[in-house]
Amino acid sequence: MIAVLRIARDARVRWTLAGLLVLFAVAVPPLAGLYEMSNPDASAKFYIFLGTEALVLALWAVSYNLMLGYAGMVSFAHAAYYGIGAYTVALLFQDFHTPVLLGLVAAPVATAAIGLLTGIVALRAVRLYFSLLTLAISQLVYSIAFNAYGFTGGDNGIHNIVIPDALSDYTTMYYFVGAVVAVCLVLMFLLTRSPFGAALLAIKENRERARSIGINVRAYELAVFTISAMFAGVAGGLYAIYQQQAFPEMMYWTANAQPVVVALLGGIGAFLGPAFGAFVYTELSNLLSSNFPNQFDVLLGAIVLVVVLIVPGGFASLPNLFTSLRSRFRHETAESEVESSGESIAHADLGKVVRIEAIQAEPLAVERGEPLLVVEGLYRSFGGLRAVQDVNLTVHAGDRHAIIGPNGAGKSTLFNLITGRLKPDAGRVTFAGRNITGKPPHAIARAGIGRAFQITMIFPRLTVLQNLQYAILAHRGYTARPFGFADGMFRDEAMELLEAVGLDRYADLAAGQLSHGDQRAIELAISLALGSRLVLLDEPTAGMSAFETQKAMELVRRVAQEKHLTLLFCEHDMEVVFGTARTVTVMHMGHVLTEGTPDEVRGNPEVKKVYLGELEEAAV
Amino acid sequence: MNASQFLLFAIGGLANAAYLFIVAAGLSLVFGALRVINMAHGSLYMIAAFVCVVVANTLGATLGFWGGLVAAVLVAGAVGALIEIVVLRRVYRQEHLVQLLGTYALTLIIAGLVRIVFGPDYRTMKAPGLFTGSVQLAGHSYALYSFFMIGAAIVIAAGVYLMLYRTALGRNIRAAVSDPELLNASGINVARLFTTVFVIGAALAALGGVIVAPSQAVGLTMDTDILVLAFAISVIGGLGSIVGSVVGALIVGEVISFGLANSYTNQFALAFVFIIMAVVLVIRPWGLFGAAEQ
Repeated sequence: MIAVLRIARDARVRWTLAGLLVLFAVAVPPLAGLYEMSNPDASAKFYIFLGTEALVLALWAVSYNLMLGYAGMVSFAHAAYYGIGAYTVALLFQDFHTPVLLGLVAAPVATAAIGLLTGIVALRAVRLYFSLLTLAISQLVYSIAFNAYGFTGGDNGIHNIVIPDALSDYTTMYYFVGAVVAVCLVLMFLLTRSPFGAALLAIKENRERARSIGINVRAYELAVFTISAMFAGVAGGLYAIYQQQAFPEMMYWTANAQPVVVALLGGIGAFLGPAFGAFVYTELSNLLSSNFPNQFDVLLGAIVLVVVLIVPGGFASLPNLFTSLRSRFRHETAESEVESSGESIAHADLGKVVRIEAIQAEPLAVERGEPLLVVEGLYRSFGGLRAVQDVNLTVHAGDRHAIIGPNGAGKSTLFNLITGRLKPDAGRVTFAGRNITGKPPHAIARAGIGRAFQITMIFPRLTVLQNLQYAILAHRGYTARPFGFADGMFRDEAMELLEAVGLDRYADLAAGQLSHGDQRAIELAISLALGSRLVLLDEPTAGMSAFETQKAMELVRRVAQEKHLTLLFCEHDMEVVFGTARTVTVMHMGHVLTEGTPDEVRGNPEVKKVYLGELEEAAV
Repeated sequence: MNASQFLLFAIGGLANAAYLFIVAAGLSLVFGALRVINMAHGSLYMIAAFVCVVVANTLGATLGFWGGLVAAVLVAGAVGALIEIVVLRRVYRQEHLVQLLGTYALTLIIAGLVRIVFGPDYRTMKAPGLFTGSVQLAGHSYALYSFFMIGAAIVIAAGVYLMLYRTALGRNIRAAVSDPELLNASGINVARLFTTVFVIGAALAALGGVIVAPSQAVGLTMDTDILVLAFAISVIGGLGSIVGSVVGALIVGEVISFGLANSYTNQFALAFVFIIMAVVLVIRPWGLFGAAEQ
């Protein structure tokens, strides 16, 4: 309850701050005028110009933060797109005498096209290598602009862009730029709240999990890369208009410092954080560079270092920092340390789970008892180690199929091969008659195979409710939608599911704050919420108490039966295996040793030998 | 282009490759062992070049060069140790975003400090006495200093190789590169090892800065100019691989030299480097000699 109140309060604080920021932005020209009247040395024009600079920087930084804050991508090419935007306006004006306002429309078109093409290249790599590729792209663009005298004016750049008379007044220019920036910010804001934005957050939080709920990670990264390049193009175009010039240094890779520093200062976790940061930065750099012209870089670097090392959330996180300091001072437990009991699953309402419509396997053209998943001759080695060799396995629709075997038998590798996380060296996997061998994880998830991981794989900084909502969104194919309010969608279904598994009390807590057992319960709920026909559970009860284990497996069993799910799970706890499974496959050293009903397997002398061997090894 | 012109540009490319290798090897070594991309690597290179120029112009060409070399390596090594202890130790376990931004902040701070201490002007220094002047070879004149650079790079490459494969320190570094987790369990003082590696990386950056100083003007853009090239080399050769640094530096050094060789391509010599970098990253993201990350 406390947590819910806190979130509501946070939201109120945020909206209030956003409102104040907008009010301030609107009031800049009159304030500058007042300042000039009270202080004869001050120039209103100068402050209005500074305000225009802050507005453009705000747009540029918020567009950067679409990648950084929402998708976790560090790009060194963003300044290049900003520069291309400015050059588009400048070149169209210089070579074709195109009015600058028309150029401003062309700029985002050009940068989106170039962003898409270069993004296809950059996203061939991930994380650090992605960042380095964007660096190469950025320097490529820069060196072309810098050297192609005939085309871009080389290191001189392009100057003397003529703007319409209507914009020649500083105040009019300020409001014009402000209006364009406002429209762009609103569009981006809507995007971040949409299911598309939800998919980005899911990717940032946990790529692997995002894939397994059916999100095509690369496609989304490419989309956000292109979109932020497009808005950077608008920002660059505005720059060319209010500064009436474009020059190559705008594109040098170090120019990316500006949006990054601004986003960091303001806070990458809040949508308007970078916009707020832009105003702070512009004023700060104005003060510093006029008072300490030589020490500017040092001070700026020191500020960034302090923010990175001490307040990673930027200014947006200062209220939180304050709260946690205050509670530490008062010897209270910080709210962020509140942990769940870890026994939610014990409160699960089985009857309710069974009634929920959100859990409903999609119909497939496979009758009960027919083969649903067929694995033929599967091989996979790691270096010299043959993890999986010649594995053949058939899982029948509606079955509860367990895979057991000592440690290192190849169970997890087999699961990874089936779900596409690993590619097999040889062999074939067929699901519902379709060949899914070597398909990417998101495609396999969309085909109807859900998964709970052995290690807990949730979205730690999203709320428990969002974890489920986003899984449902992704699974039902809504995440391509760039409009709508993701957090308002499937709320009831997700909430119902949470109530059913006993997690409703923690709905608004960050999932990462919950205890291990409850995170396992979220994991289970996600894999059930996907409505997958086949659910793979990798040691679903690892880390649960005996009572929770019993309860969790009862839940899984009931759901599978009532909702016609097919289960494939591996488990060390033999009581769980023999209490749940109807078919048991035994693996040993990458091979399938035997398969049969629980009773047949229990009586098999070879199986006894394998497990006995493990016990002997353990005793040594 | 005839054979003697070819030789001219080939040797020019080797001289480029020489100092580029020395700098890139340091970047690559630090990444291999510490798993951190040090954006401030170019800043250490720039500090060293400025220190060397000041010492050289005070003490005279020959004594000044060698004295400057020692001073530059000491200063850069000390700054490196400071950076590792104060900043890097706090970001090892964090996502690479934090590491990039933290070391990026250092480049801003160092660039500012260098300008405050040394001023904004370009500076030049003479090559040490033994290596001034030029030789005639097949109809072209070659600066003797180019051969010194090539020789120095070979000596340093041999030194790095011996350090990695013939000393206990080298064995620990290689262990850190191949299996960081095992290292923690092996009883080695990891904190001290990391500081040592980072100081060696800083010293390599400094050697590069010193060796390049007599051959070009020393100025405030040196840090970022070298950094992108060092990235390109490390990426082409493979981050963490010393052999990769050699091959990457040869490719980049020669591409720049031959790219500048004629009027059709001279505007785009650097663009070629980044095209090669992008192609390698797309086809083999871990570089020609690097190991794929699991």
